[in-house]
Amino acid sequence: MLNFETTVQDSKSYGDLTLSEVEPILKINLRSNKREFSTKIGKLLSIIPPIEANTSSSNEDYSILWLSPDEWLIYSNNKISYEQQNLLEENLFNNISNTNQGSVTNVTDHWVMINLKGSKIYDLLSKSSPYDFKNFKMKKGSVAQTLLNHTDVILHNIDDNNLNLFVRRSFSEDLWLWINDSARFL
Amino acid sequence: MSQELRINNNKFIDQTTRLSFKFNGEKLYGYKGDTLASALLANNIHLVGRSFKYHRPRGIMTCGSEEPNAIVQIGNDPSLTDPNVRATEIELYEGLEAFSQNCWPNVKFDIGGINNLLSPLLPAGFYYKTFMWPASFWEKYEFFIRHSAGLGKSPTKPDPDIYDHKYYHCDVLVVGGGISGIMAAKLSAENNNETLLLDDKNILGGATIYQNNDCFQIDGTHTNYWLEKEINKIKNIKNLTIKTRTSLAAYHGYNYLLAKENLTDHLSPDERKGKIRQRLWKIRAKKVIIATGSIERPLIFNNNDRPGIMLSSAIKKFIDFYGVKAGKEISLFTNNDSAYETAISLKKSGVNIVSIIDIRDKSSSKIVKEVEKHNIKIYWKHTIVNTEGYRRISFIEIMKLSDDGSGVIGKKIKLKTDCLGISGGWTPMVHLFTQSGGKLKFRSDDNVFLPDKNKTPSDQISIGSCNGDFDIKDIILNSNKDVKTFLGIENSSFDNLKVESSKEEMKRNIWLLPSDKPIGKTKPFLDFQNDSTAKDVKLALREGFKSIEHVKRYTTTGMGTDQGKLSNMHALGIIAETTGTNMGELGTTTFRPPYTPLTFGAIVGRNVGEFFDHTRKTAMHNWHVQNKAKFENVGQWKRAWYYPKNGETMFEAVQRESKAARESVGILDASTLGKIDIQGTDASEFLNRVYTNAWSKLAIGKCRYGLMLNEDGMVYDDGVTTRLGENHYIMTTTTGGAANVLTKLEDYLQTEWPELDVYLTTVTDHFSTISICGPNSKKILSKVIPDLDLSDEKFPHMSFKNSIINGIKCRVMRISFTGEHSYEINIQSNYAKHVWELCMDAGKDYNITPYGTETMHLLRAEKGFIITGQDTDGTMTPSDLQMDWIIGKKKFDFIGKRSLYRSDTIRDDRKQLVGLLTDDPKEILEEGAQIVEKLNQKPVEMLGHVTSSYFSPNLNKSIALAVMKSGKKLKGKKFFVPMENKNINVTVTDTVFFDKENKRLNA
Repeated sequence: MLNFETTVQDSKSYGDLTLSEVEPILKINLRSNKREFSTKIGKLLSIIPPIEANTSSSNEDYSILWLSPDEWLIYSNNKISYEQQNLLEENLFNNISNTNQGSVTNVTDHWVMINLKGSKIYDLLSKSSPYDFKNFKMKKGSVAQTLLNHTDVILHNIDDNNLNLFVRRSFSEDLWLWINDSARFL
Repeated sequence: MSQELRINNNKFIDQTTRLSFKFNGEKLYGYKGDTLASALLANNIHLVGRSFKYHRPRGIMTCGSEEPNAIVQIGNDPSLTDPNVRATEIELYEGLEAFSQNCWPNVKFDIGGINNLLSPLLPAGFYYKTFMWPASFWEKYEFFIRHSAGLGKSPTKPDPDIYDHKYYHCDVLVVGGGISGIMAAKLSAENNNETLLLDDKNILGGATIYQNNDCFQIDGTHTNYWLEKEINKIKNIKNLTIKTRTSLAAYHGYNYLLAKENLTDHLSPDERKGKIRQRLWKIRAKKVIIATGSIERPLIFNNNDRPGIMLSSAIKKFIDFYGVKAGKEISLFTNNDSAYETAISLKKSGVNIVSIIDIRDKSSSKIVKEVEKHNIKIYWKHTIVNTEGYRRISFIEIMKLSDDGSGVIGKKIKLKTDCLGISGGWTPMVHLFTQSGGKLKFRSDDNVFLPDKNKTPSDQISIGSCNGDFDIKDIILNSNKDVKTFLGIENSSFDNLKVESSKEEMKRNIWLLPSDKPIGKTKPFLDFQNDSTAKDVKLALREGFKSIEHVKRYTTTGMGTDQGKLSNMHALGIIAETTGTNMGELGTTTFRPPYTPLTFGAIVGRNVGEFFDHTRKTAMHNWHVQNKAKFENVGQWKRAWYYPKNGETMFEAVQRESKAARESVGILDASTLGKIDIQGTDASEFLNRVYTNAWSKLAIGKCRYGLMLNEDGMVYDDGVTTRLGENHYIMTTTTGGAANVLTKLEDYLQTEWPELDVYLTTVTDHFSTISICGPNSKKILSKVIPDLDLSDEKFPHMSFKNSIINGIKCRVMRISFTGEHSYEINIQSNYAKHVWELCMDAGKDYNITPYGTETMHLLRAEKGFIITGQDTDGTMTPSDLQMDWIIGKKKFDFIGKRSLYRSDTIRDDRKQLVGLLTDDPKEILEEGAQIVEKLNQKPVEMLGHVTSSYFSPNLNKSIALAVMKSGKKLKGKKFFVPMENKNINVTVTDTVFFDKENKRLNA
């Protein structure tokens, strides 16, 4: 097996704020505007892709984040092995892409997931994100696609003052440094 | 500190905390709560600086952001020194060091003061008139002008302070914490609106918080006590965020506002360490309430600029708020009732008032009567015709005004005074309103520009004195009414307040007060910082300048760091009067952001140093670092440029790497290329439409190179796309073009071709790409992936295979950007570094050589392969690149097709890509160098330029690509590349220099 090497491989604390990379988890991008798509995903993963903008649906194993009217991001809620990732990807690809119901694209290493927890996470985000988090933070499961220090990020509210941040792998080291720098001044 | 000038037990100043500070090197003392200005006045210092042009002595004139004179240099540390800081705004801290600006050797004796004597020779437009000729002398003039221009000294080292940004969203933003702002914030927050209240001072309450006068009462108490209670109440409202020391800098459209919060500027250097200095707030408010108040106007009369001449309202604040007497024998000069409030404050504090000079015939308002009770001498219908005192005012000369106010009559009276308060009425602060797009209207009763309610952008109101209410009764009544309407509130706790005030009954305004001397012999200053006088404005009008914008620039009125907060209205008034125009029709100059100067630090926040720009890194980045790669920026990516060994220069390293790649094997990190996963039943049709060539017949498992054009037919991007399945492709784009290409393609799918069943997903970061090239590349790959059949039959050039490396899936493409036998391994990024290391291990016996982008560029140039953006510049069609073969002429359509057949795009004499060889094979051309045919032609016709140029170690000669007019027809012809000190002879050749038969691809 090849060595697995992510970009951050670290966790940090600043007061009650904790930052940590959570890997390896599976991430799959779904796109479709077909009728049967939602039902198929429901059968395969036991969750339905949300149709309301900026929301998500989750079960014990997976979360599906709404990204656009025809695009979703699935990620595994727990760390899973490479083999399991492959099985799931193949299953989805065979049932969606190969049946022309949409597209299934593995983006596991495209995104790095960083968990942010603590009472000041929104103060941290407000330093460089123009997004209004008022509704986002009140509703568990909310999804936001915004900029953080000019970098595209996807944010998923998983609990009170607890969110997962997805950043593109190539930007992740840079953003991690910025987050840590800004966390010092909260 | 002179205790004679201090009043004890002032509530806003902590007289138990004494602070030492230095001004021009002299150690002085003040108290916590002082500004530098109040502390200097308490030390009996008025003279703080010199004016810009005439170097006249100038003193503290105001108590706020409108200060034109008291601008100082803070600190003498070259990394921290801060120029043009208003002494009236900076809070005193232990150890503060301030210096006067624009004077040498010192503020008391300034050599530049000679300009004052020469002032008759230095009228408005002096520079424009004097330095016009001879034209050749400009550079000499400029040397001296540059040396005398500018105020203050910039720090010479990088700013060590930390600056922060904060985005903030609220229902209601209230700008200004005076009485109307406090009322608005309370009403808003109590009615369930998330409210943000900003004030630039450290204490809320504006001018009312120190208005302790019997004439002004709310519900039977003095206005200051009433307001203090209200402020205490709002501090506990949950929905309300209050930010003091925060000044609003800019009000953009759609209620987007910028404000600067000062966090540590009031602390001593020791207390500041490690803390954020300033924070820039970026505010999106659903509604905005502007309550920015008004500032007092000066009066324009002869020699009105001496130290000791201050705004009357400033004298009042210094005595009531800071507990500092601005003088011992104070006179007041006014055209309205406000100065009488100052008189009462001074009298209460035991300051001797020499006299009040009032240009009005009489006033019988309550406050005037109150002053009269104190037996203060009031000279009605008088004006000041002159002042005396070089470094501090010592005398004033007054005379009676004629009935029409145009002249003076009677005897001159000379009065001794050490401080003169001047009050010319009030100017509403409408800057923010106009910045947001609001239009002003003119109220002629008191000559003020006010927000026009009918031309106010939606979701904002102006209240209080910035809206033209100057009487406390009007302020409370109208603010309450307007805020209730604006926020849809039915009842308010301010509905039934009983307010007592002194109604001003008599007004008189004279923009330029007459003197007993002709105007040419007087110095009535309008702009105190830039030394422009009423005379200058009149001169500008005589010389034909009529627009206020032109007069402003010609005379520099309002162009100082105070941006004319004190001078603009008088300039307008004098223009209107002189030209017989209505002031309302004349309009104002444009109020641009920022309202008060912003530091560059606050603007950039933390995006300095390592955070100046993003750094994108590939999965192998650390390997490149460990192996001493030099990096180049490609977009935001850090790409390995070359890997110098044993002190090699870049040229030497690139020569070595290029040779190794051709002779044995080279390895390149190609991960930065954009990768787009394309799926859907119409994927082939989609590619047909975006690329110039045909895609429908590309077999599964095969790769094809494509050129993407813009709508104008010019080359936009290029790359290899691979058919992974029936309806599945992976497209590669250029590194720099990746994001734009994806956006453009998605845009086409959503807006132009919604009928296509195609889905795009970027996988640029998911896959890392390792490119192995050279005659031994097959041997390396067979070691890394032993199970993969690499025979030319099973795995020919331009095809791909799915494979597995140590249990991890990968895609291997046999494609080449160097002309060598090459493979690209695409693998999930988190495993890529290990695969790279496996390749390096496998290549040990073959001298595998990592190469960077420079060698990649050289190798592809040997083959004549273009780089989009280097050999193309947005004006090159495929035909210009001599790539007609890639245009699918039978295709129904593709982006840019129609443009390829325009008369301009089919011209024969367009610039076309050619190869160039220098006659001297060792001579390397410079990229960008021009190509000419005739050396002695003037002007010389430039036929084209060099786009790529290298010394090829594999050909042992210099090679170049260039674009030349009619290039296709020029093969074999000779030209010149003129350089600074020589002319290089070149010959046009084919664009392919190496392995024209492509034998090496299958070697």
